[in-house]
Amino acid sequence: MTDEMTAVFIGSSIRLAMPLALAATGELVSERAGVLNMSVEGMMLIGAFGGALGAWATGSPMLGLAIGVAAALPVALLQAWLSITLRANQIVTGIGINILVLGGTTIAYREILGRHSRTEIPGLAKWAPPGLGDIAVFGDAVFRQTWLLYAGLVAIALAAWVLRDTAVGLAVRAVGAEPRAVDKSGLSVTKVRYGAVLFTGFMSALGGCFLSIGDIHTFTEGMTNGAGYLALAAVIFGNWKVGRTLLACLFFGAATALQFQLPAMGVQVPTALLIMLPYLMALVAVGGLVGRQTAPPYLTRAYVR
Amino acid sequence: MNAVAALDLRFLQRPAVWVSVAAVFVAVLFGMVLVVATGASVPKALAAFADGAWGSPYAVAASINRTLALALVGIGFVIAQRANLTNVGGEGQIAVGGIAATAVSLYGGAASLPLPLSFLWPMLAAVLAGGLWGAIAGVLKARVGTNEVISTLLLSFVAVWMVYGAVQSESLLRQPMTNTATLPESQEIPDATKLPLLSADADTPLNAGLPIALLLAAVVAVALDRTVWGLRLRAIGLNPVAARRAGLRIAPTIVLVLFLAGALGGLAGAFMLQGDQGSLKARFSSGYGFDGLVVGLLARGSIAGVVAAALLFGFLRSGGISMEMQAGVPSALVLVIQGVIILLLAGAAFWIDRHKEAER
Repeated sequence: MTDEMTAVFIGSSIRLAMPLALAATGELVSERAGVLNMSVEGMMLIGAFGGALGAWATGSPMLGLAIGVAAALPVALLQAWLSITLRANQIVTGIGINILVLGGTTIAYREILGRHSRTEIPGLAKWAPPGLGDIAVFGDAVFRQTWLLYAGLVAIALAAWVLRDTAVGLAVRAVGAEPRAVDKSGLSVTKVRYGAVLFTGFMSALGGCFLSIGDIHTFTEGMTNGAGYLALAAVIFGNWKVGRTLLACLFFGAATALQFQLPAMGVQVPTALLIMLPYLMALVAVGGLVGRQTAPPYLTRAYVR
Repeated sequence: MNAVAALDLRFLQRPAVWVSVAAVFVAVLFGMVLVVATGASVPKALAAFADGAWGSPYAVAASINRTLALALVGIGFVIAQRANLTNVGGEGQIAVGGIAATAVSLYGGAASLPLPLSFLWPMLAAVLAGGLWGAIAGVLKARVGTNEVISTLLLSFVAVWMVYGAVQSESLLRQPMTNTATLPESQEIPDATKLPLLSADADTPLNAGLPIALLLAAVVAVALDRTVWGLRLRAIGLNPVAARRAGLRIAPTIVLVLFLAGALGGLAGAFMLQGDQGSLKARFSSGYGFDGLVVGLLARGSIAGVVAAALLFGFLRSGGISMEMQAGVPSALVLVIQGVIILLLAGAAFWIDRHKEAER
């Protein structure tokens, strides 16, 4: 592999991993609080759509990002209300939301943006950390990325810190492990869980916007195409820990990048194998073949006072 | 008032039934509002929907064939649910069933067998493949305690991409490439391996899958509600600890139950291939497994409920396709309606259960 190809490969792996990492971090927080959001896929999709629509309508990608987040929060709220307040089955709720969002965004896209499908949607600006961007070959291919990538890394680091070292994080982890104890201590299990799910919505929307206005500057019907499920798989493979989850996302991103890289290098590997690799890895992980899995004890279980 | 009518009315008084009917009604109403919002005419959309769903004998037969696959996955879901297991893997079980049925139909010598065997043999292969695929989740659950929701979902994605891979490679199931325009799909399966039609009239393509599915539905309904086996499943589902104390073997039951659910999914794949599509394509399972899962959920544990929900979704799918082609309404509207139905019923489940407890 030449230096250029290595640089492009690393750069695109990071770029493809980022939307997953954003959504997976959000989902990890919520799962630590005991709520499994299959709806990450739907939250990402509506975030991607809101971002694209907002950027197109206002001409400002920054406003687009805000609108994308604003569009995802009601969806997260719906997930929270159904699965926490009404104690509906979390998986059913998630699947329902995904189907609804896929149908809704498809119709809305055709009605609003479809006719303008050729117009360029303004995207988020690119940025490289001072110094790093000037490195020969690698600077441009690896470090010159959408600023959302760097902002996202900061957000993920912040989330990891809050989860591990603060009272808020302790409350989140406790709600997923011993909700009754949390309740007895006077803290509201419901409120903590609502907050965690809304955070998932926020991070998923950032991930969705990364896809639509960060990466390719357009929206296509059902464009997340399973990215949300990959984020779920990453959390599982990551054993509900931030560091390992990020590593899983990077792995998944690299596997996707290889789909384009290998044919360019003249290596014939079935594309299908590379696409299913993340799911196989997650399966091996939940199968207990790579260390013990420690899912939050109250994951998917509603809390009844 | 005669006895039959009284029975019918009491049936409607059950909250689970009327809440479901109300949910469907609200969702369809919501869909109509969307039709108006997109600027299409509601009467035209409804006419197109009716035409595609039940407008001709052909349409009815096509809708029923769709219903069969959904119902089989739904029945599998209900069996697993009885043991408190959630099978989210229908999509993948359909996919491996399709792969197995295609392989046996094309290269397993099925076409040279005498008639009932020529289409039953691929079907059996599909049942076995789907069953084993489901059993993987069962073994993981029994041995390591892996949550079957997560494992069956992951297995689904793997299987869907296995189909994609199988039709991309000539050394697997792809048809021989004669020119650059050869599509990435399998050869058409021989006629002898397709499900025979019930009537000689090709305008009503109802096939042998219908009696098979009806028979299976009846057998499962009886097995779940009228046999010791069904009672044991329920015991394990309600309280595994007590069931183990009572001497029931939990682990083998979990594996068996997920095998059965998977086998029904595999059979659904065989029906879709041998009764409808005729060749394996990259997007073979096309969401039927997830729709079937929803059918199982809506049924709230009863086989009669599965049949009703599968009919609803089968006809919804047919009508939606025709609405897009004839009235220019995006078929995504059907997705919206389905999504609203699922969410309404998921939210109402809590309320229905509380109502049930109050009745006791």
